[in-house]
Amino acid sequence: MLRRSSVEGDSVACLVDPASNSMWPQRFGVLGGDRDVDLGAGQSSAGFDRQIRCNVDDANTHLDGFVLGEVALPDVGAGAEPFDTRDVGQDELAFGLDGHANSMGRPDATFDALVLVSTFQVPEHDTTAAIASIAQFGFVFGPRRTVTTTLVDTFDGRLHRAGLRLELRTSEGTELVLSGQDVVPAHLSVDAVPRVLTDLPPGPFRSRVASLIDVRALLPQVRVRMERSAGVWRDGTGKTVAIAELYENVHIINRPDIDRATTIEIHEVPGYAERIRRARTVLRGVGLEQCGLDTLAQCAAAADVDLAGFKAAATVPLEPDMAALDGIRAVLANLEVAIAANWQGAIDQTDTKFLHDLRIALRRTRTVIAASKSVVPAEVLGPAREGFAWLAGATGAARDLDVYLLEWKRYTDPLGVQAAVALEPVRDVLARHHADAHLGLGHVLGSERAAALIAEWRGWLAEPVSNESLPRRAGHPLGKVAAKRIARAHDALIDQGRLIGPDTPADDVHDLRKDAKKLRYLIECFSSMLPDKPRKKYVKQLKALQENLGEHQDAEVHIKLLSFLTPELDAAGADTNLMVAVGQLIQRLGQTRVAARSEFAERFADYDSPATRRSFDSLIEAIAT
Amino acid sequence: MKVLATYSIKGGVGKTTTAVNLAQQAAASGSRVLLWDLDPQGAATFFVRVKPSVKGGVERLVSKAGSLAANIHATDDPAVHIVPADFSLRHLDLALDNTKHPTRRLAALLEPIADRYDVALLDCAPGITLTSESVFGAADALIVPTIPTTLSERTVDQLTGFLSEHPPAPMVLPFASMLDRRKRLQRDIVAHLMADVAGFLPTAIPNASVIEQMGIQRSPIADFAPNSPATLAYRRLWADIAARIWS
Repeated sequence: MLRRSSVEGDSVACLVDPASNSMWPQRFGVLGGDRDVDLGAGQSSAGFDRQIRCNVDDANTHLDGFVLGEVALPDVGAGAEPFDTRDVGQDELAFGLDGHANSMGRPDATFDALVLVSTFQVPEHDTTAAIASIAQFGFVFGPRRTVTTTLVDTFDGRLHRAGLRLELRTSEGTELVLSGQDVVPAHLSVDAVPRVLTDLPPGPFRSRVASLIDVRALLPQVRVRMERSAGVWRDGTGKTVAIAELYENVHIINRPDIDRATTIEIHEVPGYAERIRRARTVLRGVGLEQCGLDTLAQCAAAADVDLAGFKAAATVPLEPDMAALDGIRAVLANLEVAIAANWQGAIDQTDTKFLHDLRIALRRTRTVIAASKSVVPAEVLGPAREGFAWLAGATGAARDLDVYLLEWKRYTDPLGVQAAVALEPVRDVLARHHADAHLGLGHVLGSERAAALIAEWRGWLAEPVSNESLPRRAGHPLGKVAAKRIARAHDALIDQGRLIGPDTPADDVHDLRKDAKKLRYLIECFSSMLPDKPRKKYVKQLKALQENLGEHQDAEVHIKLLSFLTPELDAAGADTNLMVAVGQLIQRLGQTRVAARSEFAERFADYDSPATRRSFDSLIEAIAT
Repeated sequence: MKVLATYSIKGGVGKTTTAVNLAQQAAASGSRVLLWDLDPQGAATFFVRVKPSVKGGVERLVSKAGSLAANIHATDDPAVHIVPADFSLRHLDLALDNTKHPTRRLAALLEPIADRYDVALLDCAPGITLTSESVFGAADALIVPTIPTTLSERTVDQLTGFLSEHPPAPMVLPFASMLDRRKRLQRDIVAHLMADVAGFLPTAIPNASVIEQMGIQRSPIADFAPNSPATLAYRRLWADIAARIWS
């Protein structure tokens, strides 16, 4: 009979035949709680789509096996046929069973060694008893040390969403620990608290973090000070086979109102799962309650810290037959949340993504406002249109310079080391302009006018709508209104695009880019009622065109800025090398601009094609009728 | 994951102590490390106090159904895991020879766990054998301990010569091992090797008694002599290697 132990909630245990890559449904079951549960034949549950952990043993043989992976289990009832596990996530490993080798005819036994942490809450008066009970097993506890642990992540919880946890631990030294479920922990000693990627030394640790956080800053999510005693259980050779950590006097920094209990965490040492099972049994035996979260995660939960961070969604649930005004207000209210979330970060320059996301939210807001004529009352629409145009305009220079500095190496590296070195004064000048632009932006965002605009806007979004004197389309079906606006934006893009030729002024090309963005924003904002497949297909085609237009515009903006800076550099006594390098940079940007322009016709022809029209029609049809 | 192998045609040059100490240093600088003991003597396994055991023996390990994951054990450093050796590895050449693509088999075994570790460090037995060819097929770089004798350059040349005839060849990173700084001849040889041998790393590992104590302490020297010159030398050596590998 199979049994398993679970550490968190319901999960599914199963046997996997490594040869046929299939499971035996009669040997899996739904489990709950942390106890050994017999898996009887036919226990099943429908519709699982979650992580599974399996720890399989039998009466005589313990198998140190854990399977971890996203798995979509079909509805398998008693006596159903074995099902294919090829859809099981990459991390899932088939494992055979030593103990069942005879009965199953599978002598193969493999297992995946993962780190498992079990956390127990310890009533204050029981601490000594709890320690004594596991000490008799051989855990030897070291001295108590004060540890401050800070859970660090980006504003939008990128590490958490990737299943990782980054902790900054300060005790006798300071180290970063990058860990997670199914992840071997990595440790890195640091001298200072890293805030951005470049604060970390080059190497695999930084590379792993970089691939996730990109330009985002690492921000403290929750800080906890506690007294930690580590207990190590060693075998006869002195090898560590299990670790227990006792956390006492746990305090969430800046939250004196929250009391935290003493906890014991039992950390499995991969390859020695049997020991941890025994330790868990002992702790349960003395009446300790096992928790679903470890000590730090409990602190985050107690402090109401959402480790998933803030992630702006362009859209909200919408129905084509809802009133247009209700739908548009819901979309705008959702965008207002994104504006508010990114406001302070943009002022503080916490990282460049705050301003980027603020700009996107403002632009989407402006696009939806512009498409809300005859739906939103004119007395609301007029001031909002003007106010958000002002606000969005104020973010432009700072964002352009953010991009310039972020892309600096990409622009200058191809010119060679000599030119890149010569161009350093230009970067300094750009940095000064960048600081000025952000100062100006800070003044705008901190101004009374901005505060009044947002307060008024928020008020309108929150207030109930009076049914009196609403514009004529306010009660129309949202689907029809949105379809019409999206179709109009699409047609405008096609019409304007067809007018672009090799000699068309750059400003007209930029206008076309803005038209493309507006169309994209409309599709994104109303995406929850658009069918997925044609939407993705259409957006892919639109995106290809936007990339071309974006490349052209970025080069155009940066050439203009350099040309603008040249007299300033000259006046400051720039040497010949510098001016030559500036010329080279302008020339290179000019080449990028020309290349983008010459590619435009082909890209636009791809977009202005019957295939795109077909995906667009099927996109719109779904909500227009 | 970068695959590195401590390798030498000669025996007794410090491959295993290098593998164990570099694993520790790599982990200390933020890498997740899998140490794979490929030497039937199992010295690396011994140094980290893990029981010498290959589940089902070496034939099972290199067979189609074999899995490294099934053999992974933690060491006392949470960022270093090991695939231990046992005496069955003396048949590794034979077992590999029975597989379809012997020189690609070790790479194939590493592939499923490549996203779990940043560094796989293979501690090899000496000699040029089928196992070493399979190591060459899996490794991004060979870390070659080179003792400062007059024949050392010739040994490195033999290795690079062999590799050039069996592409694709891993990067070869020789370094001076077991250097006795009291001996002028050794100092001169090392200076010559660093100047003349391509890829030769600038850090030399001293012939220190603290390294010999690893057999008693059964742990990397940084654990029991964190400030010793040998520990510092291994730290520099890892920095040299990391700079070459991740540059």
